[in-house]
Amino acid sequence: MIKSLNPLSWKGAKAIGVASLIAFSGYVAGDSQSAVEGEDILQNRCMGCHIPEAQNPLQLSRISHQRKTPEGWLMTITRMQLVHGAVITDDERQSLVKYLADTQGLTPEESAPYRYVLERRLNHVEDTGSELKEMCARCHSEARVGLQRREQGEWEKLVHFHLGQWPSIEFSAMGRDRDWFGIALNETVPYLSEQFGLDKKVWDDWQAAEKSSLAGSWRLAGHRPGKGAFNGSMTAEETARDKYTLTLTGEYANGEKVSGKGEAILYSGYEWRANLNIGEESYKQVLAMNKSGKELNGRMFLRNQEPLGIDLQAVRADESRVLSVSPTYIESGKTVDLTIQGVNLTGNVDLGEHIKVLKTTGQTKDTIQLKVRADKVSRAEPVTVKVGEQKLEDTLTLYRSVDHVEVTPAYAVARVGGAGGSQEKVKAVFEARAYDVGDDGVAGTDDDVFIGIMPAQWELQAFDEIAIRDRDLEFAGEIDRETGVFTPGDAGPNPDRKYGTNNAGRLKVVANLNTKSKSLSAEAELLVTVQRWNNPPIR
Amino acid sequence: MSLNTIITVLISASLTLMSSMSYAEQPDYMVVVNRPNNLHVINLATETIDRTCELPGDSAPGTVAMSPDKLTAYVLAGRFGKIWGIDVRNCDLTFSTDLSNGNIRVKSIASLAVSSDGEEVFTVHNPVRIMNDHYEVLDTQFAVYKADAGLQAKPVRTYPVPRQINIIQTADDGLVYLSGPDVYSIEPKTGKIETVIPSRTANRPGFSQPDILTVWPIGRVSDEFIRMYSIAKFDESGDPDKAEYFWGFEQVILSTGKTNVTEFAPLEDVLFTGMHRPGKPNEFYGVLTQLKRFDVNSQKVIKSIDLERTYYCINFSTDGSKLYLAGTYNDIAVYDAETLKKLGNIVLPGGDMSMSTSQVFSSPKELSNAKK
Ligand code: HEC
Ligand code: HEC
Repeated sequence: MIKSLNPLSWKGAKAIGVASLIAFSGYVAGDSQSAVEGEDILQNRCMGCHIPEAQNPLQLSRISHQRKTPEGWLMTITRMQLVHGAVITDDERQSLVKYLADTQGLTPEESAPYRYVLERRLNHVEDTGSELKEMCARCHSEARVGLQRREQGEWEKLVHFHLGQWPSIEFSAMGRDRDWFGIALNETVPYLSEQFGLDKKVWDDWQAAEKSSLAGSWRLAGHRPGKGAFNGSMTAEETARDKYTLTLTGEYANGEKVSGKGEAILYSGYEWRANLNIGEESYKQVLAMNKSGKELNGRMFLRNQEPLGIDLQAVRADESRVLSVSPTYIESGKTVDLTIQGVNLTGNVDLGEHIKVLKTTGQTKDTIQLKVRADKVSRAEPVTVKVGEQKLEDTLTLYRSVDHVEVTPAYAVARVGGAGGSQEKVKAVFEARAYDVGDDGVAGTDDDVFIGIMPAQWELQAFDEIAIRDRDLEFAGEIDRETGVFTPGDAGPNPDRKYGTNNAGRLKVVANLNTKSKSLSAEAELLVTVQRWNNPPIR
Repeated sequence: MSLNTIITVLISASLTLMSSMSYAEQPDYMVVVNRPNNLHVINLATETIDRTCELPGDSAPGTVAMSPDKLTAYVLAGRFGKIWGIDVRNCDLTFSTDLSNGNIRVKSIASLAVSSDGEEVFTVHNPVRIMNDHYEVLDTQFAVYKADAGLQAKPVRTYPVPRQINIIQTADDGLVYLSGPDVYSIEPKTGKIETVIPSRTANRPGFSQPDILTVWPIGRVSDEFIRMYSIAKFDESGDPDKAEYFWGFEQVILSTGKTNVTEFAPLEDVLFTGMHRPGKPNEFYGVLTQLKRFDVNSQKVIKSIDLERTYYCINFSTDGSKLYLAGTYNDIAVYDAETLKKLGNIVLPGGDMSMSTSQVFSSPKELSNAKK
């Protein structure tokens, strides 16, 4: 037995912050392996501390009583290494993550509410009214909690681990004003067992369900804030069980063409993780296969610049489906060119009673180009795009005028970086969402109609008096006037600033929209702050 | 004037002079800790460092408590897990304990005090048992060590106390006050515990739960066990946006055991530490990014200045004329307590003081005369 596995030789935990030194990456490479190999690793690398409870398959204390995502397993095993001194090679760790995610993962339904955290939507705002907000989600996302399934005793042990590992938990804000430990054990744990119990049957059913290989051709459609619509195709070749090589080609609405290659692994029967090299850039895909096995949904983003990426949908190339339409809004009374993208588009195009197809200007099996004329309407209305039997809803809007604009995200965080430091700048990207406010004339009410994401002229302003005094506007960074992509300033102290402080700042991001009748503007808050040193796979 | 009178005047004058000189021979000293492992013994009359002692390990959190004779500085350090006793005359390590024991890891969150006779050292244990595949959080305990137990001191008595205890301090009568959900007193010989200031359990109608952050057992020079709270006062609607926010303090007078809970000012800025000016029960001072002087009775800010940087820990000279800002980085700022005019800085060799507590006291001759 390895010496460090003796619990009494435990030398005190290294700060978990050391986790930042390990790039949580690369776990999509590595060989896929048989269950036997997974069990071997458990036996050789985990059994020194975790007690065997059953054989065939091997069951170990703690480990066999939890279910989580591949990222969740990766974090746990990494902690075993960093905090408890477990020894495991990188290859073994990858294999074990795969084995555990496949045998003790989450179902698609279970992970659905929290995909934003896996998809690295860093500016997603979680529900602030939640039960867990103060007790748990003050340090990490609530998603980190919701992406696990455990029985009551395991939730209880998790609470003991937290307080034991971070004694300050009951002395810091939102811990010191209450009986944190008592509430955690007597209220939070029962709540968690109820909401996120182990529920073996749900998992067994999912494991038993028929699943198809993801090999083949896929049609891609998506939207990238700052660049607009994306369309493309991807081919996946299964080289070993659950392991794929990929080729991808695509085009953004602005005509920019991309192509690249990569590798993917499928976990838990539906969790698709891929690394792709596209041009000079390295991308990651975090997608989930839907139940039918015919569609993948999620996000494809820059590995080193996670805020920049495509909200992506992939549909099997042998399906028949309408995927996107461009533009996504048509002004009342106008005649415009419209492009419909999809897979195997056959049949007549029908755009409802208010939009007339004047002419088909081009057609392939995946693309239809049209000239259409819109009727005059007094209020915006959603338009269903039908091609034969297939339809696309909630995408195309016919509108008369834009009454109201909102910037999303309403609140974003960017981080200084670069300048020779180890951390890249973390950018932020904004979009202007246009609305018709409905007959009541009031924005934010039920009769509002979302028209679409519209181009805007972007500018920055100081957020408040303090930001003016500290001249944040000069130092914190710059926004691209056309794309709404914000690039923060360099890391490190800046001698030109008061007290030589860093380039942090608080800004207003303003979108200016000139419609024919009026100019509208809207703003969001942007906090430019310092680097984050630890970036775990589940924030 | 007769010669006699002149002589008398002269004598008395010189007497006064001599007594003030002899007073000056008992200068205030400060003990404070900074990174990586320094304990500084500072003569505040000359604002010079007499000596810098090396601690046997990591300085965090650097909570300091002085023995009643002011010759031993006890330091809670070693990542909240060790207590060391240092003879401040010569840097000798006279006391040492590792709070942890076998697979029971123990941390203390700035709980450190010395008995009024100097014979015992007190802390509060937050233990967790580390098992092969899980942790088990154990009950918190008040732990008593013999001051003369040497370098492998083990607790001689432990008593159960509520969780969430941070700072503690011994009163003149030997009772130890504990800052936790409420303020408690404990008899260190018997473990008998009593609530002396209900805080979390006060449930004041129309007020929020008080929020209290302290890891700084200051207040010895002002004869108080002191902690600040922030609190919201609601109107009938109970709407947090319409609430008024206040700073208050909870205080136990160390010489009498009298307690006092008072809101002393509207909450304008975040403050980390605050205490009374020695001898001035109506004057309260607080610090973080600002240094503020408050009139307690009228709940007014008498003066507020912006500091060049943040300081976590305030303290006063024993006569209340000067104040010392320590903590955070590695310099101590000296201010005139009356005018808040800056008088200077004492720069410490080494790194950040971080959350260390500075202790100020009138030095015994054995210390001020000790060989430099
Ligand atoms: C050196 C001893 C040691 C080894 C080896 C070890 N563990 Fe652990 N494990 C622990 C301890 C101690 C805990 C409880 C504290 C914690 O959760 O970190 C634990 C807890 C866990 C938990 C529960 C975590 C939670 O969030 O509640 C899981 C799951 C786990 N280990 C998996 C593994 C796996 C998989 C391996 C093999 C790669 C492994 N452990 C190897 C000591 C070890
Ligand atoms: C003081 C901050 C803090 C609070 C409060 C907190 N956590 Fe955590 N939690 C952490 C950190 C840090 C980790 C990461 C440990 C690691 O790196 O594996 C973590 C990890 C976790 C994990 C993943 C553990 C694993 O190995 O699978 C879960 C689940 C979790 N927390 C749930 C909770 C719940 C439930 C609560 C509330 C009862 C809570 N946390 C409160 C800091 C906190």
